[in-house]
Amino acid sequence: MKNAAVSGRTRGSFSLSGRRATSVVALLPFVLFLAVFAVYPLYELLKLSFQETEVLDGEFFSAFNGLDNFKKIPDDPLAINSIKVTLVFSTLCVILTLVAGTAGALLVNSSRIFKSVARNVFVWPAVVAPVVVSVMWLLILDPTVGLINKILETLGREPQIWLNSKTGALISVIVVDVWHWTPVVFLFIYAGLNGINQEILEAGRVDGASESQLIRRIILPILLPTIAVIAVLRTIMSIKAFDEMYLLTKGGPEGATSLISLHIRKIFVEILDFGYASALSLCIVVILGLIVGIAYSLRRKNRSR
Amino acid sequence: MTMEKTAQKSKVNVPLELSIFIAIVVTLIPIIWIAILAFLPNKSIIGSSFDFSFWLGNFRTLADPSQKFFRQVFNSLTITFGTVILTLVIGSGSGYSLSKLKPPKWATTPVFILASFLPIVPPITLVPGIYVTLTNLNLLGSVTGLVLVNTVFNLPFAILMIKSYFDQIPDELREAALVDGASEKRVFFSILLPLAKPGLGAVAIYVAIMAWNEFLMGLIMTTGGGAAPLTVGIASLVQDYEVTFGQMSASGFVAAIPIIILTAVASRQIVSGLTAGAVKS
Repeated sequence: MKNAAVSGRTRGSFSLSGRRATSVVALLPFVLFLAVFAVYPLYELLKLSFQETEVLDGEFFSAFNGLDNFKKIPDDPLAINSIKVTLVFSTLCVILTLVAGTAGALLVNSSRIFKSVARNVFVWPAVVAPVVVSVMWLLILDPTVGLINKILETLGREPQIWLNSKTGALISVIVVDVWHWTPVVFLFIYAGLNGINQEILEAGRVDGASESQLIRRIILPILLPTIAVIAVLRTIMSIKAFDEMYLLTKGGPEGATSLISLHIRKIFVEILDFGYASALSLCIVVILGLIVGIAYSLRRKNRSR
Repeated sequence: MTMEKTAQKSKVNVPLELSIFIAIVVTLIPIIWIAILAFLPNKSIIGSSFDFSFWLGNFRTLADPSQKFFRQVFNSLTITFGTVILTLVIGSGSGYSLSKLKPPKWATTPVFILASFLPIVPPITLVPGIYVTLTNLNLLGSVTGLVLVNTVFNLPFAILMIKSYFDQIPDELREAALVDGASEKRVFFSILLPLAKPGLGAVAIYVAIMAWNEFLMGLIMTTGGGAAPLTVGIASLVQDYEVTFGQMSASGFVAAIPIIILTAVASRQIVSGLTAGAVKS
């Protein structure tokens, strides 16, 4: 060690190559892990989607069938329906959670009485397991035991059967999603709000701007990049959504809440058409990849401007 | 001081505070309701009117040795603990490397591509491939298998977060220690790692919540067997045709309350930990 300090020059160049080796070795477990549990499954997905796979006596038999699996998609009314449902669900959920989360953050930020309580409570739904969230809402929406019907009956009104009607079920799962994930938006916007330089706002106030003008002209424009990032995040989350619907409505009634993930699960696990399920999965992965890719390049463009 | 205080008091905006209060109530209703039902007998849950008679029977039924409840809680705890440890070990090594060791580009490019691509892939699409992998490794239907799968899904985020924590520690510190003759290993374990502790804590809490809440992989990779986590157990209560609303509420309560308490206690740390990376980017 004493020698090392003396011959600093030579040691410096030597340790650089040593550091290089260490740096690669330290990354190895991560790459290995993802290769086995993410890259390989994706490769398997790619392979399956160009094959006809049959299960006979627990053994898999596969044969290449070109694009046949992909050609099935437009002819599958259930898949088309799932895509439509996913589009409606995602659009509404993303918009509603963004509006509610941003409004919540703005309100809490200027609150005096409830600031510390709300800051804490508004995060809670996001940490509850999606499975438990569906149980919670089942206990509220269920036609026989739900809280809403107890209240309606106590008031002498007709009980609701929202989960059994097509529109009612879709609205219900959207409400559940908004309750569950608005906290994520709230968290990031609130953190963004607190990062805004107070002097800018003071300057605005001195110049006679009202609070609503401050929000529209200064705060929201500053937060726009953060909001954009969360919008992408929420879009991905809502297209990936599975757990809550799987338990709350099972995709029903009549496919009204059959999100694409639920439909893919059904083909994989119940119909056992692995090729078709993989083809559909691959399309979703590509679409999500495109959304993120476009968002990323837009951000780079904006930044370099 | 007093002047300022009175000025603040007069500024209380009643409609604003009222709307926040309503939002708090709406946020809390589902949580409070499941907590109430957990302590009610099935007959008062099913009854059409409100009947609040405190009862511990739901928990007694769950605790019955014939139920899988304790086994599932134990599985969930093991999966959570294992995932947190494994994610932190792999994540801190890799995150440190990315931040401070300047690995060659050919090594970092696949890492960044994988870390940004995996989070956008719906887990359901990876199910067949992971199923085959676990079967080949003879880990299907095992807690170890679920630890590995959970780790994979949490690593991309963890590694990026940990990298950003190491980024905040000045390079000079590391260089000074190296010049003083400390080995690369020693610098990492005795200097940099302890400094990143708060960040690692936030990542640990986040990963623990994700692993404790995970459902899809637990469902498909254990098919409800002996290695099933609590979430899968709760789901099986929902799907049964017999009336188990009381047990459903009680097990949901057990799954949710510890996490909510953890969040309430560590809220500041979680919030700063999770938002630090995102706001900067």
